[in-house]
Amino acid sequence: MITIPPAVLSRVAKPARYTGHEHNSVVKDPAGVDAAFALAFPDVYEVGMSHLGLKILYHIINRRPDAAAERVYAPWPDMEAEMRAAGIPLHTLESFRPVGEFDVVGFTLQYELSYTNILNMLDLAGIPLKSADRGEGHPLIIAGGPCAFNAEPLADFIDFFVLGESEEAVDDVAAAVADWKKAGKPGGRRGFLARAAAIPGVYVPAFYDAAYNADGTLAAVTANHPAAPPVVTKRVVADLEQVAYPTKPVLPFLEIIHDRIMLELFRGCTRGCRFCQAGVLYRPVRERKPETLLRLAQELVDNTGYSEISLTSLSSADYSCLKDIVGRLIDQFKDQGVSVSLPSLRIDSFSIELAQEVQKVRKSGLTFAPEAGTQRLRDVINKGVTEKDLEEAVGAAFRAGWSGVKLYFMIGLPTETDDDIKGIAALARRVTDIYREVKGKRGAKVSVSVSSFVPKPHTPFQWYGQNDMAELERKQQLLKTLFKDRSVSFSWHDAHVSFLEAVFARGDRRLGEVLLAAWRQGAKFDGWSEYFKFALWQEAFREAGVDPHFYAGRERTADEVLPWDHLSAGVDKAFLEREYRQALDAAPTADCRRGDCSVCGVCQGLGVDIIDWGASS
Amino acid sequence: MSVKYRLAITKGEAVRYVSHLDYMRSIERAVRRTKLPAAYSEGFNPHMKIAFASALSVGVASEAEYMDIELTGDVDPAAMGEALASQLPPGIAVGRFRQIPATGYPALMAVVNLAAYRIRLPLPAGTAGDAIEAIGRFNAAAVVTYIKENPKGKKEIDVKTYVREVAATPVADGLELAVEVRITPTGSIKPTEVIKVLVEKFGLPADPDTALVTRTGLFVADGNSRISPLDI
Ligand code: SF4
Repeated sequence: MITIPPAVLSRVAKPARYTGHEHNSVVKDPAGVDAAFALAFPDVYEVGMSHLGLKILYHIINRRPDAAAERVYAPWPDMEAEMRAAGIPLHTLESFRPVGEFDVVGFTLQYELSYTNILNMLDLAGIPLKSADRGEGHPLIIAGGPCAFNAEPLADFIDFFVLGESEEAVDDVAAAVADWKKAGKPGGRRGFLARAAAIPGVYVPAFYDAAYNADGTLAAVTANHPAAPPVVTKRVVADLEQVAYPTKPVLPFLEIIHDRIMLELFRGCTRGCRFCQAGVLYRPVRERKPETLLRLAQELVDNTGYSEISLTSLSSADYSCLKDIVGRLIDQFKDQGVSVSLPSLRIDSFSIELAQEVQKVRKSGLTFAPEAGTQRLRDVINKGVTEKDLEEAVGAAFRAGWSGVKLYFMIGLPTETDDDIKGIAALARRVTDIYREVKGKRGAKVSVSVSSFVPKPHTPFQWYGQNDMAELERKQQLLKTLFKDRSVSFSWHDAHVSFLEAVFARGDRRLGEVLLAAWRQGAKFDGWSEYFKFALWQEAFREAGVDPHFYAGRERTADEVLPWDHLSAGVDKAFLEREYRQALDAAPTADCRRGDCSVCGVCQGLGVDIIDWGASS
Repeated sequence: MSVKYRLAITKGEAVRYVSHLDYMRSIERAVRRTKLPAAYSEGFNPHMKIAFASALSVGVASEAEYMDIELTGDVDPAAMGEALASQLPPGIAVGRFRQIPATGYPALMAVVNLAAYRIRLPLPAGTAGDAIEAIGRFNAAAVVTYIKENPKGKKEIDVKTYVREVAATPVADGLELAVEVRITPTGSIKPTEVIKVLVEKFGLPADPDTALVTRTGLFVADGNSRISPLDI
């Protein structure tokens, strides 16, 4: 067991990040289990502790008598320096054992810019960074999460990936580890990887070879091992009612990002926004029953003492029984001092009505995401919202007493012109006008947040070449000149960050060397503006002899082999191509959950169905 | 009908590095888990009516904290103690407690005016003699000025207003110090600041970062008498 000296804890910021003992944490005797998992989140405690996926894994693994799951987060750089100086290895928050002593270390991949933190954590754990360099005594390094759907940039470092929803997959992996260990580890690491490759949804990169064409594009990624399937397809839970939900989450002492009960109403989204990767990865829509949600909420309140329930999903307003569930939750909990909040709202007046309902308990801000400034561009991205929708919703919000709204947009979308950029400013101005019309005075607080579009794998825009940084910056400047009015506050994302995201989102195995070079030069916490150093990345690309523009800015042709073609989210490539063509024609595709199925391939290919309780009742 | 209780509680090793705000929030959540009829303030952000005597710094543990809690209904005191014990996180334990008048009773914050600390201070080998001498010089000084810094600015104080003397006992790897600190309406001094003063002004041969501070008592003091806030 590792003890951190008091002198260290007294010198670092927020030492409670490192001292464990949180309520509901599960401490098992390591000697009593066959499969010990260290669940690692490659970001700081407050971010990692807020993540629902890890809570689910923690719960499911710890439910097994033969397995244990413990937590570990990236130490903040002040703590990292102390650990390195004192020779303290990376360790978990439950048993305070070194991560290197676990059977499995599992990373959650939420964001491309956390990749250097994975290398840094492996190094802090004393585990060789490359899979090929690990010996029989080292843990198996696995990873899952949305970024696993293009695993290639991490192919050198991760022993195997799990694609898709993990509720059932993690049981398979835990059982496989336990069986292999009990059998005396036949075949060693490679023997285990062969067993793992037979589990649906598991991708073992070492069992595949990548070949390239003369122009640098991929020629093929082919399996080199009999256990490796030609295409690995994601796991999907057919019915959420049948899987466990973490109703006893670890309760932090520190205030974390989402410091409240997270109640997942449903999974998936069928609106089909063409830029949205989550919309593809989590198809189809599967709802939980209102009765189940009420029961889970009560258990969560009883087990945590939290005073707020947040209804989470990709777009919570799309839950078919939303009005019903919000009303019942408020009724059930108002005397217990527990409030209800709705984080993501669609633009319509129905949402405002609900937001008002929720307001009765607690005041919260209103956020809308029109994403694009003109109707034409909103049709391109298939964001099924009109200016009239926005006007009505904002008007309703102002009439209901709100004085501020936050608007989210993207720049750099396919087919975008300067008119679309100007449309963003016009839309924001329209919102301030509506305030004046409703209130008879000025003073609306409108904040406009603009991010740069990053083409993501498995989306209709996966072929699209990202605007280069100079162009993104030109568009940001153009917008800046249009927001002279002080009633609108305007913020935007660093174009360099979006560029790097695009490189790694659409990268291949050759980026492994870039990651190593960047990490060696000190890259870490790249998602945090105070640590992001673009110059260091430029140096890393040079050192590795890799041209980043080849990955980010190049429009790819339909016949090009993509680095993630052997990893399937269940959605047909032909469907994505069709959607891209429709986008260029600004032709909409309807939401498939109530209207016609657009045959994306998920329900047919994976043998699952949309579950929509509102439609069936 | 509202009922108030005053409880003695701890902040043990497991929560030593938890900040005061986080410590309070953890207790609030534990109370909510007990389903005791806690009273809440009005407004958009209702908070539980609990009050503490004085804040503890991050890194300081305590054997003697006190908290007042208001409930909206009568509860069996024994059941309340058990309910809390079952829900409080490791390191936070309930000691003695009793019902206090719902109104007109002095708040903890207003009556507690003395805190006692035990400080474990590791020393480099062979420096115990020098350390004791340094502490002797501090005890003998009539006035010890110190610039207290906080986010609001700098303020010169006389340490001796708050700490008359420091008692030192040699232990295996250093010293064990006993310090009593006065808490006044206009301010006080933290035990870690006392160590800093001893190191910087009196040449105590120690690294202040290594000091392990535990509060051993909070009192309502008058002259030489010291009584627990539970006994007033
Ligand atoms: S297969 Fe049809 S119904 Fe199922 S998610 Fe795809 S488009 Fe929707």
